[in-house]
Amino acid sequence: MRNNLNRFRAFWRHFPAAGAINLALIILCILLIWELISSTIDNPSRYLPSPILVALSSVDMIYKGLLPSYFGDTLIRLITGSSIGLALGIPFGLIIGINRTSADIFYPVMNFFQSVSGIAIFPIVVIWWGNSDTTVLVVILYTSFFPIAFTVLSGVREVPMQYIHAARTMGATRFQVIRDVLLPGSMPHIATGSRLSIGFAWRAVIAGEMLAGREGLGWMIFTAQDADKTSEVILGMVMIGVSWIVLDHYLLRPLEADTIERWGLVQR
Amino acid sequence: MNILQSISIGVQRRFGRQRLRKIFLGSIPFAVIIFAWFMNGYMGWFPPVFIPPIGEVWASFFLLQEDCPGIGAIVALDQRCLMSTHILSSLSRVILAAVIGLPAGIALGIVAGMSRPISKFLEPIGIFANSISGIAWIPLAIVWFGVGWKTTLFILLNTIFWLLFFNSMMCVRTVSRVYEQSVLTMGGSRWAVIRDVFLPGAMPSIITGIRLALGFGWRALIAAEMVGGDSGLGFMIFSSAAEFRMEEVFLGVIIISLIFLATDRYLLAPLEKWTILRWGLIWKPT
Repeated sequence: MRNNLNRFRAFWRHFPAAGAINLALIILCILLIWELISSTIDNPSRYLPSPILVALSSVDMIYKGLLPSYFGDTLIRLITGSSIGLALGIPFGLIIGINRTSADIFYPVMNFFQSVSGIAIFPIVVIWWGNSDTTVLVVILYTSFFPIAFTVLSGVREVPMQYIHAARTMGATRFQVIRDVLLPGSMPHIATGSRLSIGFAWRAVIAGEMLAGREGLGWMIFTAQDADKTSEVILGMVMIGVSWIVLDHYLLRPLEADTIERWGLVQR
Repeated sequence: MNILQSISIGVQRRFGRQRLRKIFLGSIPFAVIIFAWFMNGYMGWFPPVFIPPIGEVWASFFLLQEDCPGIGAIVALDQRCLMSTHILSSLSRVILAAVIGLPAGIALGIVAGMSRPISKFLEPIGIFANSISGIAWIPLAIVWFGVGWKTTLFILLNTIFWLLFFNSMMCVRTVSRVYEQSVLTMGGSRWAVIRDVFLPGAMPSIITGIRLALGFGWRALIAAEMVGGDSGLGFMIFSSAAEFRMEEVFLGVIIISLIFLATDRYLLAPLEKWTILRWGLIWKPT
């Protein structure tokens, strides 16, 4: 019996679609359990609508054009916020990392502000800028700035001293050292940090839309809960999860792996 | 002058020159920020609605605690001791969630990671559950449990459990099969394999996972308390902001970050370091 199973498994591995079929089986399994639970509880449309209802509500929202517009809003917010955050954080981390004294000066204060999470400063930001797009943008900027600045800082400080000394001995200027040694040397850390801070920014976008009431996926699930449309809440959650998986696994992780492969300082 | 010099040398010897330098340099930005904040209250660059005077923030801590009858009321989470009630109810939620969620996440993660087919099956579920972060669950949790401590606890547990489950499942898979097989060959039972191979082998990453999970959980808890809670620090800053009591909002934000910093630095980071030293499979070429 066990031998047969192993042989079947070995045979199965030859198909390239085996992984996809596995995934489809898992999804089917979850949907079945979900359907089973929702058919046994009372008042399922309020507590746990069946998957078919959720799919129908997605058809309805796509037909009305709401879902694509919310999705686009969220994505645009994420892209603008995190790209500004990265554009500010990478140079900041580099500048601080170059000099030990400046690193000593700024490290504790950055540590403090990083631990003030973006969600916690939300009430303050709302009072400063009101329920506007600026509020969401500021929160995204705040949450995405610190992780990238920290990782770049540690990346710059991990570049071996002998490379810097070698470049200096050959007559490189300070700027050349930064451009040719420190920046490529910290490239893997920049890639890792970007992924990290985009992940934080994604959470901040969802929370920010919920609390500031700007249209987007977070706002969608929040208002749907108010309007007692639980199927739309679950639809929004699934959208949030799936879009983050797609973004993370098919865009950011390959990018990070490529960067590490290309620029990583692995010494054999 | 001589006395001063000898005192300074003594202090440097006692605490370490580099550490003193770091502390001194690190306190400069804090001093600048606090001075600017103080000057703002003095000169009135920004109105108090935007940035409250530093003295009021300090005073509001005692103002919130003013009507408190005594220690007994603090422990009983009396509504009259607002400040301590909010702090303690947030903290007790974290402790409760840690007591339930950490063992459950680690145990299930190790069990799932031991068998390859099961862990392959559960991996996409873990990825999906982790990518719906704690915050996205808040509306559904409000539908299920209503506004209150159940919702906040659910959000916190959800965040902690899935992160830790996924993390420990993946760690167990990285433990080399050779160790497991050698224990089995020498006649060890399944339980012995878990106790002597998987648990120690995955320990460093599990502790790192705990630190990560509590960090994410704390953030998610604050958000959950803001939207669906009726007590706690997140609730306090959100409701104070709705009434434009900015000094309480600032106080709450500072307390939130201080609690996080203190737990992370004095509890979790030393634990992580110790575990890696004790259990880590780092081979050092001497």
